[in-house]
Amino acid sequence: MGLDYQTVLWNSHKKKYDLWIAIGVFLYLLTFIGITILTNPETTAETLIIRAFGTLAIALLHIVLLIGPLSRLNSRFLPLLYNRRHLGVSMFLAALIHGAFSIIQFHTLGNTNAFYALFTSNLEYDSLTNFPFQVLGFFALIILFLMAATSHDFWLKNLSPKIWKGLHMMVYVAYAFVLLHVFLGALQQQPSLWSISILSIGFIVIASLHLKAALQESKIDKQTAIKVEDGWEFVCTVDEIPEDRAKIFIVQKERIAIFKYENKLSAISNVCKHQGGPLGEGKVIDGCVTCPWHGYQYLPANGQSPPPFTEKIATYRLKKIANEIYVHPEGLAEGTAIEPIAL
Amino acid sequence: MELLIQLFLGFLGIYTVIGVLFALYFFFKGAFALDPLIEESKWTVRLLLIPGAIGLWPLLLFKIINKSRTSL
Repeated sequence: MGLDYQTVLWNSHKKKYDLWIAIGVFLYLLTFIGITILTNPETTAETLIIRAFGTLAIALLHIVLLIGPLSRLNSRFLPLLYNRRHLGVSMFLAALIHGAFSIIQFHTLGNTNAFYALFTSNLEYDSLTNFPFQVLGFFALIILFLMAATSHDFWLKNLSPKIWKGLHMMVYVAYAFVLLHVFLGALQQQPSLWSISILSIGFIVIASLHLKAALQESKIDKQTAIKVEDGWEFVCTVDEIPEDRAKIFIVQKERIAIFKYENKLSAISNVCKHQGGPLGEGKVIDGCVTCPWHGYQYLPANGQSPPPFTEKIATYRLKKIANEIYVHPEGLAEGTAIEPIAL
Repeated sequence: MELLIQLFLGFLGIYTVIGVLFALYFFFKGAFALDPLIEESKWTVRLLLIPGAIGLWPLLLFKIINKSRTSL
């Protein structure tokens, strides 16, 4: 959140995570190159680079795809979400190096244009097993380029969250292209049970975690009011909400978060204005509800970002009868102040 | 099939060339027209936006034209 854009929103955590990414990438490349030289010493430098960066990109893509469901299933993984963007850009750069060296090694030696050669060196587009797998990698790289190029906050705001999210959901299409690229490549060039097995396990893990997270989310979405009194819905008792934290509920098909802080209760929309992050999974820090994804903040009593910031979210009326909390399902306009319920 | 590939690559080439030209415009002027917050930001932010401007130039052009129409 801010009144201007920063090139990179650095903070100590981000620097730490980026350092870990750099160390991880370095160690992976070192290990891969070391093992290849030991087991297959006749491998050329170009082939080594192509394989090292190709496998690195695939490994990073798997981590990127795992972070989302893992942080939904266990809040301990939430900090990884903060740095997913940098991980995604690193993954694209690794894929770019792999793609660029592949084109140089396989398609620049003849007289034809390298990109034309990429698309025409194998014309078996009607074959299932001999389909030109490099073309699939090319399309995956285009999608990853668009995602990396639009990873700055400027794009999120100016493309609109809907278009931005749609564009970034294309990662699953890119993943499908990458899987086919590797499977077909492995089948057509050097049949490798090892790479096919690793990739299959990766796919099963990603698919299972996404399914598990989706089932958990759908359970929340299916919540129905247990008790309704004059239009007010009973949600929980005061003790069920931890201090400086929230509980998430569904009212009128909208997710709301009820926060307990400073002996008060307030209800706001669960959806952060920045990237739709789950505010109810965040904490109250310095009197502000802080989004667990990127640290956007809102005052719980009025759903407004503290001045000079201008983001606003809907607020909801609450009432307390004995120890029971009731919410009025009709949300108020974004940024509407509501007197918190005193405990 | 080869004709289709030639057409596709020709389209991709033209799209990229226009994208590069548009990105130059976007760096110096377009980004300001789209979002006033850019004025308060460092030039390095606009530099970072260049790849996105090349890739999504039709959408950005549409948004800039739309914005200039509504502000008239």
